[in-house]
Amino acid sequence: MGKQVGEIFRFMRNKRLFILMVGLILFIALMGFSLGRNRLTWPEKFLNDAFGTAQGTLYRPVGAVADFIRDLGRLSDVYKENEQLRRTVAQYTQDQIKFNLLEADNKQLKKDLNFTERQKNMDNYRYLIAQVIGSTSNPYEKTVTINLGSRDGVKPDMAIRTVEGLVGLVSKVKTFTSTVTLITDLDPTSSKGTPVSATFLGHPDSFGIIEYDDETGALQMTKIDEHDKPADGEQVITSGLGSLFPKGILIGTVKSSQVGDFGLTYTAIITPATKFDHLREVFVVVPPEEEGQ
Amino acid sequence: MKIRINWVILCAIILLVLENSIVPWLVPPQWSERLLPHLCFILTLFVAGFGGRHVAFMFGLGFGLLQDSLAYGHLIGPYGFGMGLIGYLAGLLAERKSFTIGFFSWVALVSGLMLDSIVYFIYKLFRLTDLQYAQVFYWQIAPTALLQLLIALLFYVPIRRYLVKLSLSSAEDSPE
Repeated sequence: MGKQVGEIFRFMRNKRLFILMVGLILFIALMGFSLGRNRLTWPEKFLNDAFGTAQGTLYRPVGAVADFIRDLGRLSDVYKENEQLRRTVAQYTQDQIKFNLLEADNKQLKKDLNFTERQKNMDNYRYLIAQVIGSTSNPYEKTVTINLGSRDGVKPDMAIRTVEGLVGLVSKVKTFTSTVTLITDLDPTSSKGTPVSATFLGHPDSFGIIEYDDETGALQMTKIDEHDKPADGEQVITSGLGSLFPKGILIGTVKSSQVGDFGLTYTAIITPATKFDHLREVFVVVPPEEEGQ
Repeated sequence: MKIRINWVILCAIILLVLENSIVPWLVPPQWSERLLPHLCFILTLFVAGFGGRHVAFMFGLGFGLLQDSLAYGHLIGPYGFGMGLIGYLAGLLAERKSFTIGFFSWVALVSGLMLDSIVYFIYKLFRLTDLQYAQVFYWQIAPTALLQLLIALLFYVPIRRYLVKLSLSSAEDSPE
């Protein structure tokens, strides 16, 4: 017995191993501590802002050059795209008239029903234009950095979108920059991320949760009620159920659907509306309740 | 041989900025999830080779933690831990064997595989990923390590020339 204890002590005297053990424990403590933390200390904010600014001066010009070179290769597509856009604009002006009428109608109805001021303002989202100033090389943290921070009114869990559709959520806010977690990082089986609720544009009563399957690399909408069988090609938008998340942002279109894990729900595979790599300009969606604060 | 540590730190900061701003644009879109080179890590290996294990440990630890806090989404520490440990181990190895380019390429390849594996297992430990190791290895770890090896070999000559002070004994065979 005494001999064994002696051996353990001799073992511990091996300084290198001892330091390694202590280091391991310290690191596990650090990782555990930093897991699921939302506030940042000022040295972290300072470092992030400093590096973010430096990155931004490079990321944006390089991105512009890279995009230009890629655009040269796609010059023939541009004509086709232009035609498509013109057709869309025509459709849009048509819809705008309809929309204005409906909005006026809606306002009147809300007034008749004695909606509160807060309820009336529910859909008045404000958009902040943000430049992407960097992306990280960590394969398990798919984050990008944007050049707006707490000074500009950005808060954690705000939605980030491009012109095409939903991109992600603000995860960490610094003074001048923020970190955005992409929706491809919302893995259902792991203990991370804020769930995003979604609905079909066609029938707004439907409900589902957006998840990303790392193994197949597909965006999914799960837990769809069995009465709302998703049709292929249907558009999926955010439903706004849940705190800060705005509604009506396009997520993608249904590519295929299948019966879910327990046979009671449907799971739809979604083609995302946006591309998540090589982002340059995004919008931060500020919900109206936040503006007064 | 002694490494000019101040210049190396300056280089590492510049490389870290480049890694987050320019490298994503150079990698083709189809490969953007697979090729994620860590430039500071490559520099850590050079520090281990030319500066000794203690310097490499501190260097790896510092820049690993810096990288972690820049990419902070879920947790801080995997790269700090991995780069510190590998810097130290590579330093140990380099002190025993002569630091030739062939030996160095082996170190770069194996430690590249090790770093990404350590990071994977940490994320696995905290249940932040549930991918299979074999899949991650094929999908991201192996291609990244090969790319890192290539970058390390590209860096080899400039770093030896500009960032390593030659001691008197070895100055004779390489005139400047």
